[in-house]
Amino acid sequence: MSPSDTTLRDLHVPTPVIDPPDDYLHVEQTLSSWIFTTDHKRIGLLYLVSITVFFLLGSIAAGLIRLSLIVPDGEIFSNDIYNRLFTLHGVIMVWFFLVPSIPNTLGNFLLPLMIGAKDVAFPKLNLLSWYVFVLGSLFTMFVMIWGGVDTGWTFYTPLSTEYADSYVIAAVLGVIVVGFSSILTGLNFMVTVHKLRAPGMTWFRMPLFVWSLYATSMILVLATPVLTIALILLFAERALGLAVFDPANGGDPVLFQHLFWFYSHPVVYVMVLPGMGVMSELITAFSCKRVFGYKFIAFSSLGIAAIGFFVWGHHMFYNGMSPYAGLTFSLMSFIVAVPSAIKVYNWAATIHKGAIRLDTPMLYAMSWIGLFVIGGVTGLMLASTALDGHVHDTYFVVAHFHYIMVGATVVAFLGGIHFWWPKITGRLYSEPWGRISAFLMFFGFNMTFFPQYLLGYMGMPRRYHVYPPSYQVLNVLSSAGATMLAVAYIFPMIYLIWSLWYGERAGDNPWEAKGLEWTTTSPPPKHNFHHMPVVDFEPYDYPNIAPEK
Amino acid sequence: MSGTVGIKVEEHFHSAEQQRETARLGMWTFLLTELLLFSGLFITALVIRVQHPTSVTAVALHLKFWIGATNTAVLILSSFSMSVAIELSRLGRQRLMLRFMLLTAALGAVFMMLKGYEYYRDYVEHMMPFLPYRSYELAADPASRLFTNLYFITTGLHAIHLTIGIGIMLVMAWLASRTGFLQQHQNRIEITGLYWHFIDLVWMVVFPTLYLLNR
Amino acid sequence: MQHFLPHFPPQLWPPAASGMAAEIDAMFAAWSIVLFLLVAPVFAFMGYCAFKYRAGRDVDRSHREARNLTIEMSWMIIPFLISLVFFFWAGDVFLQEQTPPPDATVITAMGRQWMWKFQHPGGQWEINDLHVPVGQTIRVNIESQDVIHSLYVPALRLQQEAVPGRTTQLWFKADRVGAYRLFCSEFCGADHALMAGTLYVMSPTAYQAWLEHANNRPTLVSGGRQLFDGYGCSGCHTPGSATRAPWLAGIYGHVVPLQDGSTVIADDAYLRASILEPAKQIVAGYRPIMPSFAGAISDADLASLVAYIKSLSAGNEPAP
Repeated sequence: MSPSDTTLRDLHVPTPVIDPPDDYLHVEQTLSSWIFTTDHKRIGLLYLVSITVFFLLGSIAAGLIRLSLIVPDGEIFSNDIYNRLFTLHGVIMVWFFLVPSIPNTLGNFLLPLMIGAKDVAFPKLNLLSWYVFVLGSLFTMFVMIWGGVDTGWTFYTPLSTEYADSYVIAAVLGVIVVGFSSILTGLNFMVTVHKLRAPGMTWFRMPLFVWSLYATSMILVLATPVLTIALILLFAERALGLAVFDPANGGDPVLFQHLFWFYSHPVVYVMVLPGMGVMSELITAFSCKRVFGYKFIAFSSLGIAAIGFFVWGHHMFYNGMSPYAGLTFSLMSFIVAVPSAIKVYNWAATIHKGAIRLDTPMLYAMSWIGLFVIGGVTGLMLASTALDGHVHDTYFVVAHFHYIMVGATVVAFLGGIHFWWPKITGRLYSEPWGRISAFLMFFGFNMTFFPQYLLGYMGMPRRYHVYPPSYQVLNVLSSAGATMLAVAYIFPMIYLIWSLWYGERAGDNPWEAKGLEWTTTSPPPKHNFHHMPVVDFEPYDYPNIAPEK
Repeated sequence: MSGTVGIKVEEHFHSAEQQRETARLGMWTFLLTELLLFSGLFITALVIRVQHPTSVTAVALHLKFWIGATNTAVLILSSFSMSVAIELSRLGRQRLMLRFMLLTAALGAVFMMLKGYEYYRDYVEHMMPFLPYRSYELAADPASRLFTNLYFITTGLHAIHLTIGIGIMLVMAWLASRTGFLQQHQNRIEITGLYWHFIDLVWMVVFPTLYLLNR
Repeated sequence: MQHFLPHFPPQLWPPAASGMAAEIDAMFAAWSIVLFLLVAPVFAFMGYCAFKYRAGRDVDRSHREARNLTIEMSWMIIPFLISLVFFFWAGDVFLQEQTPPPDATVITAMGRQWMWKFQHPGGQWEINDLHVPVGQTIRVNIESQDVIHSLYVPALRLQQEAVPGRTTQLWFKADRVGAYRLFCSEFCGADHALMAGTLYVMSPTAYQAWLEHANNRPTLVSGGRQLFDGYGCSGCHTPGSATRAPWLAGIYGHVVPLQDGSTVIADDAYLRASILEPAKQIVAGYRPIMPSFAGAISDADLASLVAYIKSLSAGNEPAP
């Protein structure tokens, strides 16, 4: 039963290792048992493989972009190829990586476990969402590599409807299809949280990761359909001649921007909220302490989701929109920063007087907090209308959103993957390599993107395949940082996969963390728990007196 | 034939009540997404109307009000027959329920036929500006194209949803014709009904927005 | 070293060419300080806790709170109020930016793929560059002929989009003589990055002199070379250009193979049509990317240009 070579790495109370005949990974191992699974844990892994593939492709595009920008005169790639590269990078990273990343991998795996359920509300719909995702994303990928799209991921009209000579129609259709996957996921998660909580699991006993998934799902459900209709209208104009935005007939191209950003601003909260949820889990576990201000953090997730629907015009201050509308959007953008700030301070307060363990997930969590504050405050700089007049559409914006999307979302994703890796796979990863990668990530990331803030203020516009030579030094610095960042991504792929065969087996709770997922085996059985839990304890009920040694 | 009516509880639910409520909440959430989908079109209609009021009126006068009004009545009737089908499903009256489901689908098909005729009339009257080879009745008023195009997109998207609804209705009727269906899957009729009512509801907003408001 | 990296160390911000630009710089500096004051303590505090409260260290961990309404409300409200200062400050400048003074000199800017054409009140026009007098309020009415562009001058800290179907505007009062970069900052297609020029802020006398010599009335064949450059033709129709376009040397009177397999003789009508409706007859082996100049070129300029192209014999290629 327990092979003698499975020594646990940590020094706390050892838990018996269950030799895995009936955990979800091993209960059936045929290909069709994976492709036709309705088990939320397996679906989470199917998504993990898919988004990792897209992350690699999107990163290659980014690498080529940074390579191209080492020289100012665009010698490496022609303008057409460069424009297709950054469009590819944006479309893949936004829709095929960032949006599904935490919700569809960690969220799918953990949501039922965390609330004590056997599965999500609609397991078959869950599988369908993966099929739809793969179908739409592969189709779009194929289109973008076969001939390319050169409009940017934002598809502004009339460039996309009339002037672009590329596969806009096909790409837009692919994105519409992937949107359905988002809607199905959001729907599934919301209903699961409402209806499938274990007995005793009240709303305020749920882990904060669940609250963040719920808020994320709200946005997916309410915002994605508006993207769908914006893209349907674009498709109708370009493919069918049913023009609604065409300025030659009095149409308003800015209307497309309103419809587009009504979705695309809330979607950035889809990208960040789950990461915030992960933060709550990591920081409490590695401080061995209750979270500070549980209700404030829970409500702030909802607040960010709600207020985030009213700020979209801050992408449009200088397109001829009424200045009073601009000021309103600016004010709402300042307000939406408030709930985010609350969380950061609450996590800092959680760490205070905790018992801190600087394992890899905690290193990622601490990186997250620092990088998110920088990204968030620079967001407020952008929301300051007159200041945006200088830095709009420059590298300042590019730096800002990468601080959030990479510095926050990707970091949270990596932190979460490391934290729950033992639960998902039953194996421990190599902690020294984990820490090295976390440090590399932090330094490589800052070296890549901090110079871009400077480039933006210096006036370098974005989406430029050539640039004035005086911007070269900072571009070279940024590209050098990108190399370090690439290594920081490659290392975890190697040691995590290595651990699947050669890593030490994990016990039920190697981190001694609180949460229902840690009360079941690693990996969990197919129906999550051997005995369905009844909840009569508060979340994060770490002992209020810090443990001795 | 009447008998007991109920649902077979799936593995991850602990009670039939939980399963019913979950299915219902799921469908309502989906309908919320559909509402937001069509809302984008209603907003666009509003914007075009604000920016080009006279052009929009010119187009509205060319829309076939009576066909639209008849279609509205047809859909309301179909929602009524759907409600009857749902009630019959609760009573276990399988055969009669199937008839009303087929009636609902048939009324939906009547809507589609009237719509097809309406589009035919639009073609004949040169109200299809997106056809490159055919002249456009209101060519002297370029901005009118915007509203005309929006009319086709909106009614077209609604027609697609209605076609899907008819398809689901027919498939559901076929599945529900088997013995024992109402003992195991009664709530599927209710969920189907929710979707059907929603298609009707969207038309309740489309008709005034396009046909009535701008005359 | 200077040859290898002539722009090192880089200047981290463009010169401020107007009072408003200087105010934006002050705002950015203030925000940067606030950013630092918000970020540094977070890092410092985390570092401090990670060290002092490291697991296994014997240190006082009593009185650990899980909630504290006063603290929560204060760190919600106080940073918000501080940040609101910037909302009001920026909003005030923004409203000023969006309200041009009534006595401004009006210049029209027309953006199209991939060039700007500026027109002064006296009829003088220029391509991609803009000459203005120092100390005078200038209002630019911005339009687009095709897609959305954006007129951006970093030294003014200002940009405004050119949206087809409407006229937008931007105003400024430059207070420093100099030459400043001008960009397109809204992605507009293949040569978005090449749609750049220079804003020349000149002393009043220099500006007057410029006005007198600027392109105002269409001229003869000898001016054709200037037009060829000025309209951006040489950007593509030159050997060695990054964009592939048919060479024009010796083209007049010769047979041109077209994409659909037919051929045409390059006569005056063909040259005119190629400038006004380039998509109608695509030369075999080339892509249909040449923009149309219909509406952007006067008849007299068109005649000059055609005369110039006719004058290019096979050995007389337009120089790069």
